[in-house]
Amino acid sequence: MIPLTVRSHYSLMWGTASIRDLCRTARQLGYERLALTDTDNLYGMWPFLDACRQEGLTPIIGAEVTDPHRRCRAICLVADNAGYAGLCRLLTQRHMDHAFDLAVCLPAHAKGLIVLTSDAGLLERWHRAGVCVAAAMPRSPLAPIHPLRQKARALNIPLTATPGSFFLTPSDHCLHRLLRAIALNTTLERLPAEQTAPANAWLADPQVYAERFAACPEALAHTESLAECITFNGPQFGLVMPPWQDREGESASAVLRRAAYDGARQRYGHGLPEPVVDRLEHELRIIDQMHFSAYFLIVRDIVRRSPRTCGRGSGAASLVAYSLGITNVCPVKHNLYFGRFLNPGRKDPPDIDVDFAWDERDAVLHSVLDQFGEQAAMVSSHILFQPRMAVRETAKVFGLTDAEIGRITERLPWFWRVQDGDGNFLADLKNRPETRALDFIHPWPEILRLAQQVIGTPRYLSAHPGGVVITPGPIQAYAPVQRSVKGVPIIQWEKDAAETAGLVKIDLLGNRSLAVIRDAIANVHANGVHFDETHWEPEEDLPTQESLAQGRTMGCFYIESPATRLLQQKSGVGDFEHLVIHSSIIRPAANEFIQEYIRRLQGGAWDPIHPLLADVLDETYGIMVYQEDVSRAAMALAGFDDAEADGLRKVMSKKDRAHRLQDYRRRFTEGARRKGVTDAQIEAVWAMMMSFSGYSFCKPHSASYARVSFQAAYLKVHFPAAFMAAVISNQGGFYSTFAYVSEARRLGVTITPPDVRHSQVRWTADQKNIRVGLMAVKGLATDTAQRIIDQRPNGLFGTPDDFFNRVRPDAAEARALIQCGALDGMAPALSRAQLLWALAQWQAKRPPVRDALPLFSDVQPLAPPELPHDDPRERLRREFRVLGFLCDRHPMVLFRDDAQRAGAIPAAALGRQVGRRIRFAGWLITGKVVHTKRGDPMEFLTFEDDTGIVETTFFPEAYDRFCHLLDRGLPYLLGGKVEQNWGAATLTVSMVRPL
Amino acid sequence: MDRHIIHINVADFAVAVERRLDHRLHNRPVVIAPEGAARATVYDMSEEAYQAGIRKGMALRGAMRLCRDLAILPPQPARYEQAMHALLHQALPYSPLIEPGEQDGHLFVDVTGTSRLFGPPVDVAWRLRRQARKELALDPIWALAANKLVAKVASRLVKPQGEYIVAAGDEKDFLAPLPVELIPGIEAPDLARLRELNLNRVHQVTTLDTAHLAVVFNNRATFIQKVLRGQDNAPVCPIGQQPPRVVLDHTFGTDTHSPDAMTAIIYALVEKAGHSLRSQGRVTRRISITADYSDGRRSIRQIGIEPPTANDWVLFPLARRVLNLAVTRRTRVRHLRLICDRLVFPPAQLPLFEAERKTFFHQQALVAAVDGIRERFGWQAVGTCAR
Repeated sequence: MIPLTVRSHYSLMWGTASIRDLCRTARQLGYERLALTDTDNLYGMWPFLDACRQEGLTPIIGAEVTDPHRRCRAICLVADNAGYAGLCRLLTQRHMDHAFDLAVCLPAHAKGLIVLTSDAGLLERWHRAGVCVAAAMPRSPLAPIHPLRQKARALNIPLTATPGSFFLTPSDHCLHRLLRAIALNTTLERLPAEQTAPANAWLADPQVYAERFAACPEALAHTESLAECITFNGPQFGLVMPPWQDREGESASAVLRRAAYDGARQRYGHGLPEPVVDRLEHELRIIDQMHFSAYFLIVRDIVRRSPRTCGRGSGAASLVAYSLGITNVCPVKHNLYFGRFLNPGRKDPPDIDVDFAWDERDAVLHSVLDQFGEQAAMVSSHILFQPRMAVRETAKVFGLTDAEIGRITERLPWFWRVQDGDGNFLADLKNRPETRALDFIHPWPEILRLAQQVIGTPRYLSAHPGGVVITPGPIQAYAPVQRSVKGVPIIQWEKDAAETAGLVKIDLLGNRSLAVIRDAIANVHANGVHFDETHWEPEEDLPTQESLAQGRTMGCFYIESPATRLLQQKSGVGDFEHLVIHSSIIRPAANEFIQEYIRRLQGGAWDPIHPLLADVLDETYGIMVYQEDVSRAAMALAGFDDAEADGLRKVMSKKDRAHRLQDYRRRFTEGARRKGVTDAQIEAVWAMMMSFSGYSFCKPHSASYARVSFQAAYLKVHFPAAFMAAVISNQGGFYSTFAYVSEARRLGVTITPPDVRHSQVRWTADQKNIRVGLMAVKGLATDTAQRIIDQRPNGLFGTPDDFFNRVRPDAAEARALIQCGALDGMAPALSRAQLLWALAQWQAKRPPVRDALPLFSDVQPLAPPELPHDDPRERLRREFRVLGFLCDRHPMVLFRDDAQRAGAIPAAALGRQVGRRIRFAGWLITGKVVHTKRGDPMEFLTFEDDTGIVETTFFPEAYDRFCHLLDRGLPYLLGGKVEQNWGAATLTVSMVRPL
Repeated sequence: MDRHIIHINVADFAVAVERRLDHRLHNRPVVIAPEGAARATVYDMSEEAYQAGIRKGMALRGAMRLCRDLAILPPQPARYEQAMHALLHQALPYSPLIEPGEQDGHLFVDVTGTSRLFGPPVDVAWRLRRQARKELALDPIWALAANKLVAKVASRLVKPQGEYIVAAGDEKDFLAPLPVELIPGIEAPDLARLRELNLNRVHQVTTLDTAHLAVVFNNRATFIQKVLRGQDNAPVCPIGQQPPRVVLDHTFGTDTHSPDAMTAIIYALVEKAGHSLRSQGRVTRRISITADYSDGRRSIRQIGIEPPTANDWVLFPLARRVLNLAVTRRTRVRHLRLICDRLVFPPAQLPLFEAERKTFFHQQALVAAVDGIRERFGWQAVGTCAR
């Protein structure tokens, strides 16, 4: 018996078993061959092939294809390569064609497929159409007089036993029901029986199936013989590159050579230096050898579609890419190593990542998809149930309200992953200090128990953030294609599977900071200042370097987080080379190495761990900083070859690395011992390598980003108003608008409140002022904001009524505009209360009166009545509610008296209090939870007052006591000791009180 | 003629009733809440608990966090009803016009024109309070004014203890300096709009002319002006003047979304409603169900009944239909209310067809038998099995 109808959890919201569990169970049950037939997809094909290899099973690839409009379905098993392409086309049609009719469409793609159906009509129809079809008896044998058996007998079609499975064990049925209830948006009690699989649809052992079908032994025999004719065990594509065709018929490598030399001359001038020529030749040779010429040319064509891009990733090490304008950092000058990107030993396809301004990216992407049509699609992302989503959805099935669910899920730490706990969700949760204030009353224990099992189950497919695959022929010959929710074609595999398949992808990603730089420069131009970008060398600018060395980088791309700002302060250097190191060394697990790095940077003595490593890590003070340092160290110290070293580097960034790393560790230890390295040294190097786990950058990537960081920092130093306006307008930075507004104020910029007569939708700036954009007004719809702008050319808004008449905002929008003061300038004589009254009058007049025409057409509108004056505090409170910040002052100013009474010192004075216990009153702007080595959570929080920013540390004990008190956007009184580390003062908190 | 309305208000009524029975509860924070239920909310609380930040409707666990030495007592509706009844009973001799609140310790007594019988209204009020203290061990606040509205504001003003007399004609001056949220009739949306216009005190609103106010409040402006000037002609409605109906409630200790649990409860409620209707000798022409969800949303559905009936066997399938109409979301339900209204006396017309008539008599006989048993041996003596 061979199970031919097996579904994994990739049969979305029906199946429950992961591929790995499925294969393991199948082997334990004694199967040797196993089919995977997920519903309408091949999502899990590559993981399945991999798992089968590991478990020693022979895989059978297939899918269950359903008809979206009729109640019919077919199991399609791939017998050979033609069948695979046919199945991909059939599945693509199933997803892309709205009028898909399975009965009609299947025969066209059925070559090389074995089709199983339990519908007597389809059986005959497809048999007559020449399809290799078999009659399938699901669950139990059918009666001999059943139409299907009669038809099969009449047509002499084999009868097969295909008991379908949706889960692995009988007890998983409740999990299956939970998934169905989530999918159907209902509760377990109301789940209709026809919308669930039968309770016996688990993967039973062969004996059970044999007993079930004992009445029909010929079906079992047919099943065996059918499976025997299947020889296909996975497609073999090799490397699939995008196609490139020259109009004159010139070869891609020749075109690339010419383009690279042309570009290099533009970058370096006409007399190309010798190292550049050598390097170009070397790279071109390898590119040609590995057939990557077309790929480079295609990426070049894509990059040309936008004036401002940032090529990143390991591709930035290529001089050819630099010459073609794909990347912007000179790999010769900055000593970037090409071999990591492309080398003849590399088997997996490398890819080039390019950033575009976030608001231009979609247009570029669509133009690429349009240009290549059927040959291009995006890579998909399989969205799995994460803990928070699992808890939320399960709780909804139990009928809990959003508020009840929110109370629990809000307290789940954002970085929380299943592997953090010891396997018992509830116990794990109860032990966390964040959830101390919560009660896990009935039915929460049940919810958490079920939710735990749902985690990791795929929920739906979405498009990968930027991965595009372009193939020489129609892409549906390689993988089934479907449409994402946004309407983009996506292949059914996520990026790792696409890589395994050999599909080379191009990553086109959105980057806010490119838009920030673009807008900041536009602001500068708008103020009449000439700014020439072509000869812009921000890296050489001394004031910029100075400000980087002091960590004044809030708002600057990639280096604005509190951790990086502190690192900048401590290091005291702001040149390009060090910035490249810094943007790479900041990693969660590298804290002690950062300390050691700063010590060495500040002149501390050091020796390489081993003389063999001296050359490798010289440039980074003997500390591993970049991703490639891992492979280089492994090669130097343990004699790994290129592929092995690269494998080690890649394993580090995988999610399931723990198991695979053990093997590498053994090989590393053995190799290093052979070279005479002591065990202590091996241990030290391995520990340093492990600090890269899960998160690391290669040097070319860091260098590309450092370049953008430098551009941002330059603009911030020289045009603070223009820059901060661009930062806030593009949103999505590390901090809230509130924090950026404070930063702008600290830079000496005045914040001018929003005004319907002057504000643009975005924030605008002149030399020393930032005008708040209408986008900051909470609740103001984009098109209303646009109407305000559009109405301006028709004359200045004279009165509130004139404004309301022309813009016609809805009540909430008008109220928000009034409360944030955007109408103050138009009617200076009126208080905000009177403006609100005027709004009410306008609203009352607006709808046509029921009694038709007014009796007296010249009814004068009433003048606003005398209303009590606006209370200043209340006015600010409303302003804050609408904008999220105050224009004319920092809100901490309002708490100054309270703070002084409590003995608090201002932020600016913190540096003079090192070693003392002080009190400080501040506004919480951002924070980050980390874990100590012992696994206790602690938190770094950033507070500010009107004088400056204070970085604070909540050690586990303090975190434990206060974490449930702390909320963003509120003032607190803190007490603690001021500590200094390499010149950066921070506050170690021992007391917190809301102010 | 000037009216004289006394408003008697036992502050924190449920707590006051409990304190009467247990002296240890005096001078300490007390809340009334169904403890033991998975998620209880505060039903009532003492002044001390109020000062600690506890409010009605707050989750009990939250309340316990706010106040460490909280005494928590389960709600005893029967006890409050009894106390309310006693309070009412005391006032009955003084006026035929007495309007009690719903088990909340509020009582309006219209003593207009009774001074020749009982002395001046102030004396009556004093006497009522004295009696309540002496005989019921309750210490009500009282206020005397020319209408219900002002009397109520006055008693709100002196809460939790004291008395207040507003002389006829002084209503406007009395209300003028008060914050608007004290005035009954000013609802939350009104309050929000008034606050927006910086109108926080009564006099700030009353000085505006109605035309200006009407711009913001439309038709409601006149009402608001009237209320804020202390004008209220509403009569004191004596008990028993509402149309008769049968209302039954059930609050789930733990919210539920199980259709079976809800059907079971509805069945029990229908039985009780049927019994109550039959003992009144009436039949109902409409049945409605109100479902309150955990998140506070409420859904009300109703269907008419033709011919009207008081028979459990007829009512139940109808009630189940209404329940299915009322409970449609997947959120859990906290509270169900069954209302039978449009009560009439049983029609004389019997079912026309033989088959129907047979069922009708069967059902009637069955219900009568069950009623008979219950009357003799108690409600629990006989029950219906789940099918």
